[in-house]
Amino acid sequence: MSHVDTLKSLESLLASFLEQAVALSHDRIRLSEGLNRLDGITRRFVGGEDLTDEIGNWFAEHRDWLDRDDLQPAVHDQVTDMLAQIQRQIHAFPQSSPATEKIAGEITRWSEHAGVGRQKLVLKRGPEAAHAAAEGDTIAPFGHVLDRISRLFADISGRKQHLLSALDDALKAASLQGSREALLLSALIIYYLKQSSYKVEPYVKRLREAESLFRGGGSHV
Amino acid sequence: MSNPSEKAYRLALQALKRKDYRTAADLFAKAAPGYQQDREFALLRESTRLLLAVQRELTALKEADEELEIEEVFSNGQETDVC
Repeated sequence: MSHVDTLKSLESLLASFLEQAVALSHDRIRLSEGLNRLDGITRRFVGGEDLTDEIGNWFAEHRDWLDRDDLQPAVHDQVTDMLAQIQRQIHAFPQSSPATEKIAGEITRWSEHAGVGRQKLVLKRGPEAAHAAAEGDTIAPFGHVLDRISRLFADISGRKQHLLSALDDALKAASLQGSREALLLSALIIYYLKQSSYKVEPYVKRLREAESLFRGGGSHV
Repeated sequence: MSNPSEKAYRLALQALKRKDYRTAADLFAKAAPGYQQDREFALLRESTRLLLAVQRELTALKEADEELEIEEVFSNGQETDVC
């Protein structure tokens, strides 16, 4: 095989690999396209452009996101945050049209849906509670964390067939989103699997990597 | 709003889908600070860079071949019939 043939073969192999890797990430790409589009719309809308039609189209194309129970909490929060910015802008309009009212209604529906089962994640403690914690009350904070971990596990494991798949997602959330709850959940699952005689070394390694990233402040959420 | 690294990664994946490897490589570079420990990211980024390097090398070889053809056409400073 000539030098050129070898290079052409390598080129074809790499292109094929990337094509398959991207195909495997199809759902993530669709999500990312939707998020990017909404991000662009939000920036321009907040900047003063009238993008009522674009927002309406986005809702028409991504309405199914509202009913997806496998949507990651971080993605859900991003969408909620962007829609909230759009809604604030709509409320700032001196006059509303039927189209903007419809969009405001859709956003409210999303926000209400987002709030279902997630409100307990927002923890606000008064000065007295904070004072008690400073004096050594670790029971209540741990209980709250356990509650959040439990909800995260319910989110992650929704459609999974095996605990290892849920662990994989938890580790990804820990390393990509810098989620402390995901890190703790990963550790818990790994320990459980170890007790059940599973081979957990690769996951322990990933956990340590996620932990070092978390400690190093390399997270981006 | 989206984190700049996350957004760049997402756009890079979209560029890969379009087979726009040059753009994907640029976007991977932009996303890199947020994904230093991410193996999947590293694999996709390095594969894209390697593919671009291979394509550059193939282009260089093709250009070298074309130069050789020109030399044949103008051997001894005189144009010759190549048909």
